[in-house]
Amino acid sequence: MNRHYDIVIIGSGAGGGTVAHSLIPLMKKGLKIAILEQGPHFPHSFFTQREIEMMRLFRYNGAWPVKSGEITIAAGQGVGGSTLMYTGVSFRLPASVADEWNVPGLSIDDLTKRFDRIERDIHVMTPSENMVNDNNRLFKKGCERLGWPLKKIPLNLKNCEQVGFCNLGCTSGSKQGTLEVQLPKAIQHGIDLIPNCEVIHLAEKKIYAKIRKAPPNTLKSKWPPGERTIHSDIIVLAAGSPGSSGLLLKSGFQHHLPQLGRNITLHPAMTLYGVYPKPIVNYRGFPKTFYTDQFTNSFGYFIETAFYYPFVSTRHMGLWGKQLSEIMSSYNQLMTVLILNHDDVRPENRITLDRKGSVQVNYQLTDKVIQSLCHAQIQTSRLFFEAGCDKAIIPFASPPVIHRDQQKKVEQMIHARHFIPIKTPVSSAHPQGGCAMGKNSETSVTNSWGQVHGFPWLYVADASLFPKSAHVNPYLTVMALADRVADKIRNDHT
Amino acid sequence: MTLIKSKRYKCQHIKGHRLKTILAAANCIIPEHAGLSKGGTLDTAGVVDWAIDQMPKELRFQFLLFISVVYVMGFFFGGRPFHKLLYDDQIRELKWMESSPINAFRMGFMGLKSYICMGYFTREQNWTSIHYCGPIVYDQPSPDPVIRQLCQGKIKVQS
Repeated sequence: MNRHYDIVIIGSGAGGGTVAHSLIPLMKKGLKIAILEQGPHFPHSFFTQREIEMMRLFRYNGAWPVKSGEITIAAGQGVGGSTLMYTGVSFRLPASVADEWNVPGLSIDDLTKRFDRIERDIHVMTPSENMVNDNNRLFKKGCERLGWPLKKIPLNLKNCEQVGFCNLGCTSGSKQGTLEVQLPKAIQHGIDLIPNCEVIHLAEKKIYAKIRKAPPNTLKSKWPPGERTIHSDIIVLAAGSPGSSGLLLKSGFQHHLPQLGRNITLHPAMTLYGVYPKPIVNYRGFPKTFYTDQFTNSFGYFIETAFYYPFVSTRHMGLWGKQLSEIMSSYNQLMTVLILNHDDVRPENRITLDRKGSVQVNYQLTDKVIQSLCHAQIQTSRLFFEAGCDKAIIPFASPPVIHRDQQKKVEQMIHARHFIPIKTPVSSAHPQGGCAMGKNSETSVTNSWGQVHGFPWLYVADASLFPKSAHVNPYLTVMALADRVADKIRNDHT
Repeated sequence: MTLIKSKRYKCQHIKGHRLKTILAAANCIIPEHAGLSKGGTLDTAGVVDWAIDQMPKELRFQFLLFISVVYVMGFFFGGRPFHKLLYDDQIRELKWMESSPINAFRMGFMGLKSYICMGYFTREQNWTSIHYCGPIVYDQPSPDPVIRQLCQGKIKVQS
């Protein structure tokens, strides 16, 4: 069956959802627009707050390994993309990072205007005192005792019930991701939202897709299962990184775009745990309210508060045997933080296709990143003990459980030589790059408006556009760039 | 496909030598401690079997093959299949795999450990001993009633 649209957006996350919302004026003028989403459309009633049942919100159950196996990537799969299962963290791109990106035609002033507007649309606020749970209070105490700057994390929330299950889908709809804000408005204005629609191949103004049956308890697509060819005058790729690059590679665009799949960064992250002497019940209340940038400029990482559910916590700890049983028997006493490294672009790190034509991420941690993660673990163990913890679980330490009476020896115990690829748990929730913005096709894939060099009918509107790491959680930056893409499309139509 | 007949779940992938290997490995990964019971039970194996059933075919083949490798490698660590090794020899074999110079062993071990932890810590009967209260929307209907019932211990697992 063939269909024709004026504009088709592929992907419904922070990028695709924002483009759809920003194109409402064109829908009012009568243009036909569709948004194709590979994953299902989950209603609020789908979110059961049980981690084994909610693994289907994530691609590859939340642990998509890079080719070397050194890092696993967590990315959302469904209408709303990764805004389904993020915590609502809404940082602006720092001006210094925009300068470092140095994309001709992209200025921080332009982004700032968009940040102002988008923040109003998605209700970005700083958390109030009554949102701070015990885990966050301990983080505050530790930072204050160490003299580190303590900052509040901007969050996009409205009437949050603080039940603590943000990463398993928000049951109340308080988290203002694209599923709650941009997409409902776009649907109200007539956009066709097609879930369970996997795009197989792209050609000039043509999309080949496969519609799958809706999984149980999810909303049905208005198109029946089967193969479709969709014609569109403009195609906006917002399938995320590495999804957008992967689709372009599968469609043969690498022959015209030598930089396709390059410039990737992942924000390698580790979740660390301390054992507090009393219950702190981190699984209730809002999980993330504070961070510190004490080591951002000097060692390239942030430390943020965090919370994870029992099974996922066992993956982060890297423990097993007696140590695992001991620590897990104190699960309600665990203080949890996340260290987030901002990595550099490396020529060997890139998105490619494997022998079977599937998308693969080639990524290896550099010595610089490993040293940075090591430094972060030393500092975080100090934070745990200053906050009052009796033990710290540190994957780069030997042995990995450090007791309070050993705290003076942490620098000897925690060492980069203890990093063993695959064994040491490193993850990423922020894949970026692959279709970098820039001046021409020799150095980049798109211009600063997300328009693909040499293909005026094709745009990219997601984290793939980043030429380097955003340093901070990327969602608000993705939304601002997607809004620029929509601006360009709107201006070309007037 | 997994089978549920009259409140029973029959494992489709973990049986025979693989079941014995998984149960023994689970006792090493999650030994009994304080209120925590040991990991190697049919209930753990049932959840692992369900999860294996959800895997893409190729990954499922690799994972099942790895369990067989763990079984056979027991001969190098004590002259017997893994589940018949002394506990200390089982630990020695798993530790070797975890830090092996060969990527495939490290990857396989991480997968095995993850699935065993999934099979144990997602089951409600173990939440009390780790002091986890579980979901607030406790009765929200499950997208997959089989895994809900397995995790709630409402169906008996058969090998």
